[in-house]
Amino acid sequence: MNGGPAENRVRLYLWWSRLAAMTAKELIQFGRDTLLLIAIAYLFVFDTYMAGNVGMQLNHAVVVVHDADHSAASRELVYRFRPPYFKLGGEVLDNRAGQRLLDSGQALVALDIPPHFERDILQGKPTDVQVQVDASNTVLGFLASSYAAQIIGQYGFDQTLARLGVTERSMQNVPMIRDEHRVWYNPNQNDAWFMPIAELLTVITIMAIMLPAAAAVREKERGTIEQLLVSPLTPIQILLPKVIAMTLVILLGTAVSLFFVLHGMFDVPMKGSLVLFFAVTALYTFTTAGLGLYIATIARNLAQAAMLAILVLMPMIFLSGAWTPPEAMPAGMREAMVLSPLYHFIEMGYGILLKGAGLDVLWDSLLGLALLGMVIFGFGVWRFKRQFG
Amino acid sequence: MIVRRIVALAYKEWREILRDRLFFTLAFVVPAALMLVFGYGLTLDVERIPFAVVDQDKSAMSRDYLHRYIDSRYFDYKGDVASEREIEPLLADSRIRLAIVIPPRFQESLMSGRAVAVQTLIDGTFPFRTASSKGYVVAINAAFNSELLGSYISRRLGVSEETAQAMAQPVGVQLRYLYNQEVKSVWSIAAVLMMFVLMITPPFLTALGVVREKENGSIYNIYASTVTRGEFLIGKLTPYAAISVINFLVLWLMATQLFGAPFKGDPLFFFLASVIYVTCTTGIGLLVSLFVRTQVAAMMLTVIVTIVPSVLYSGLLVPIASMAPGAKFEAHLFPAMYYTDIVLGSFLKGVGLEQLWGKVLALLIYAVVLWTASFLMFHKRPKS
Repeated sequence: MNGGPAENRVRLYLWWSRLAAMTAKELIQFGRDTLLLIAIAYLFVFDTYMAGNVGMQLNHAVVVVHDADHSAASRELVYRFRPPYFKLGGEVLDNRAGQRLLDSGQALVALDIPPHFERDILQGKPTDVQVQVDASNTVLGFLASSYAAQIIGQYGFDQTLARLGVTERSMQNVPMIRDEHRVWYNPNQNDAWFMPIAELLTVITIMAIMLPAAAAVREKERGTIEQLLVSPLTPIQILLPKVIAMTLVILLGTAVSLFFVLHGMFDVPMKGSLVLFFAVTALYTFTTAGLGLYIATIARNLAQAAMLAILVLMPMIFLSGAWTPPEAMPAGMREAMVLSPLYHFIEMGYGILLKGAGLDVLWDSLLGLALLGMVIFGFGVWRFKRQFG
Repeated sequence: MIVRRIVALAYKEWREILRDRLFFTLAFVVPAALMLVFGYGLTLDVERIPFAVVDQDKSAMSRDYLHRYIDSRYFDYKGDVASEREIEPLLADSRIRLAIVIPPRFQESLMSGRAVAVQTLIDGTFPFRTASSKGYVVAINAAFNSELLGSYISRRLGVSEETAQAMAQPVGVQLRYLYNQEVKSVWSIAAVLMMFVLMITPPFLTALGVVREKENGSIYNIYASTVTRGEFLIGKLTPYAAISVINFLVLWLMATQLFGAPFKGDPLFFFLASVIYVTCTTGIGLLVSLFVRTQVAAMMLTVIVTIVPSVLYSGLLVPIASMAPGAKFEAHLFPAMYYTDIVLGSFLKGVGLEQLWGKVLALLIYAVVLWTASFLMFHKRPKS
């Protein structure tokens, strides 16, 4: 064992050349499956592109009105329900007709203006406008009611100010809070900045778990793993090339998606360091690939591997913080999120791309990911070694 | 088409599934586990938004104003910072998502009858959360303003405080949330999750079924046998569809019993519509497995046609109504969207076939198209 330095160098060279040869083998095998290549290209390019057309904003929600007053005042209120949030869907004769439109999903909001609406306002009598909102989709229901309340509140406010004879110029002399909100990092709240990034990170996760798991299980299922085991390769040399090859594929896909789709089509800003972004992506891929390898040690065939992958993937994707605000999660779940590598990756991905954050801010997430990575990857390799060593 | 052959094939497939213990267990565990995790964890309610304050006034009035945020369940007070410059790193690190800057002489200006600008800085990284936060801020400001305006009117016109308050806010809003009175996201989410889980698991169960036989070569037994194409496909798929129907019943029980989602519709209608839906999703898996040669490709293709559309285009997270035309078109291509309407209609709205027949018809057409396409694509004499 204790050879001279020259012998050590030879051994080292041999080790690396075997690793390189195996990586090349994985890449070649990967490249032969045309449909798989198309599927991956689709996910990285077309899918992230489509995600840019999807959003969670209220967009032309249909409002139907039952106007029992038909006055100038009621018409002015109704006309405030304008695009982009709302769209007037016409008038209904009674409340029942409005209810029917809500039932069938043709309208989201039904506005009911009471009789004598204008008279009451002019006389200073309080009056109520009824707003019915379809809340079966909570996102839309919440936004619609929030905006409707804003519009009606502002309308009442304007009426009062007009009655007091306050003009726009004398507004400064009414004791009021002027709300000046500024939105940072995504000033126009452009969903096309948020969604494609979320989708890209999701796609990376799916691949990082599924591809190495599939590559390893396939060898098990077909029995070719026995050939590799009798060769002078160590288990690490069998395992690592699979992860390296898939990481290369994923990094390439990420680069294409980031430059051509995210930046090229949606003008997603890339404020932070791209080197850092790709380094983090590589680290993340390695970490999650460990999960894939762990799955590969449990599963005996690809059908099992696929089901196990879903069991791991779906909670990771949904509870990562991109969809559900971590602070609103129930207590136990919030802690569990910290154990998900994707949670840290999302924090860093958005941090680097949108916020321009550097290591000084993100070091804790990076540390968390690195620790998770070591534990997960180490565990995956350990299981594999025990099974085949 | 001979029934005895179909039964024999289905039995053979069933034995094969049963023999693979891990796979058999996972076929039931995965749907239930996903439902459990998401039912508890997937909340879209925007609450406890962490925020910080720069109070350059430190007066009684500014405290009173800030307490409307601090005492609200929508906000989570993280403390005061000395200057605006300290906000940026906190926002960048996601320690806070919102910051309120109260200018100097806040109280003095308001007391002397002048308007004051209060600045709110909001993290825009997650647009939906930003929109919700903005809504809360506007609502709190409006409430505060109407009080200010009330006392202003009472001073200026010399009327009682009460009349002045009524004058300050002449138009009230009576909000009624239909179908989901408390806007509990768990109600609609538990229901929609059924759609989601039944979109993902059946295709994965099925997708590898046929392609595995292709890759292993055992498909040649079928090629060489007297079994016809239709018999093979139906026999092969029946066990998977049966598993999915059982899973559907389990999920239904979980949604109503565990998560307390109300079920207002017709159970029989819902059951039949769901069976059609499960037939669709099983068919998706079948079509995928006929299309590809390797199991790995089958896996990735199933991801594309199930996970991606059910996350983005099913209405679970992203409302269909707020999509751009291109995305809306893609949403209409997948069965998930139609079934979402059926689920929500049956659970929350209590509507039945009269309102939902269009969606059921769409699913039916989808199922027929999928199965016909599979039938046409499956050849007992493959070209290569």
